[in-house]
Amino acid sequence: MDNIHITVIQPTQIRIDKEYDHIIVPGVDGDFGISFDHTPFITKIRTGVLQLFQNEINEEYAIHDGFVTVENNVVKIVCDTIERKDEIDSARAKASKERAENRLKSSEDNVNFRRAEASLKKALVRLELNSK
Amino acid sequence: MANLKEIKTRIESVKNTKQITNAMKMVAASKLRKAQENIINARPYANHINDMLRTLKNKNTSADHPLLAEVTGKGKTAYVVVTSDRGLCGSFNTHIIKKAIAQLKEDANADLICIGRKGYDYFRKHSTNVTEHYVNLFNDMDFSVSVDVAEKILSLFIDENYDKISVIFNEFKSAIQQDIVVKQLLPIVPIESDEISKLDYIYEPDEDTIIDELGKKYVHVDIWRIMLESSAAEQGARMTAMDSATENAAELIAKLTLNYNRARQAAITTEIIEISSGAEAIQQ
Repeated sequence: MDNIHITVIQPTQIRIDKEYDHIIVPGVDGDFGISFDHTPFITKIRTGVLQLFQNEINEEYAIHDGFVTVENNVVKIVCDTIERKDEIDSARAKASKERAENRLKSSEDNVNFRRAEASLKKALVRLELNSK
Repeated sequence: MANLKEIKTRIESVKNTKQITNAMKMVAASKLRKAQENIINARPYANHINDMLRTLKNKNTSADHPLLAEVTGKGKTAYVVVTSDRGLCGSFNTHIIKKAIAQLKEDANADLICIGRKGYDYFRKHSTNVTEHYVNLFNDMDFSVSVDVAEKILSLFIDENYDKISVIFNEFKSAIQQDIVVKQLLPIVPIESDEISKLDYIYEPDEDTIIDELGKKYVHVDIWRIMLESSAAEQGARMTAMDSATENAAELIAKLTLNYNRARQAAITTEIIEISSGAEAIQQ
């Protein structure tokens, strides 16, 4: 039983609570894998694709803004939003991409700029995952 | 004694009111159930963020972080006053506003941030300290809404050099009980917890960045939790208020019906007397 237990917690629910062989997490400093007996580790997640592997089957999720804690083969991921590949609404993602791009062009205010940037990233990840 | 028709109309109107209060009670009860669910669902996330922050704080790397360090200067304080957007919920808002006024008496320079229309409407007229207000947030509550509010409060805290920001809100105890709580929001005081891990984590990119991000997240979650608590408490208060309103209406209807029947009987008695005395007059 060289499995690791993954819990993905959203503000409104516990999204995933299952065993996996290994996972690949989009960390702020690059993607990294977690398998059995990983060292205790805390990092921030960037907007990206979370991959979960079990028996050669992989599940892919678009994930946005959160943290990962690894200890004793229990991985806890807290994040604001997470969507499985087939839950992504590509029309909506496209629309939000365009909206964010327009806002980036027009806005000078710092907060709005950062917000638009974040939602653009989110939309791009969703589209990327959706087109795979 | 009032005339029959008058009493009858009054009974009808009270009956209508009773129907409305009863319906509001039902709606509040179902909203309450949803709100309670939301509170329970938000718990794992909040607990985990709290545990992480506590672990980091125990390492004592956070002593001088602006979001966590206790300030003892002479800076201003601010109160976030959480009320409801709608009325008809008993003393829910009155108590909060009273508590806020009491706090303002102690500290006249404190600023106010109003969440909820009722509180804002009051303090807009009675105080000049309102720096920020949010209305109609409770209609469709979403985590991103509380993130927006929290971000604004965070930037106020940093930019305006507040010593302390506290929240005054109704905490949900049970459907019939709400407690008014004054809770310190910033600087952050993580709740004591047994589940502090003694492991020596590796932090990436580094502890300071993580603490910074985690601190912000903590405030997001705190605001989210407070809004959920307040919303559940509001529905609870409304349910109780509407329940007693319905009861009062039923009582009133019973009283009015009694009056109506008495008046009716009196009218019949008068009529019989009139008829019988008329008949007697003819016989003689």
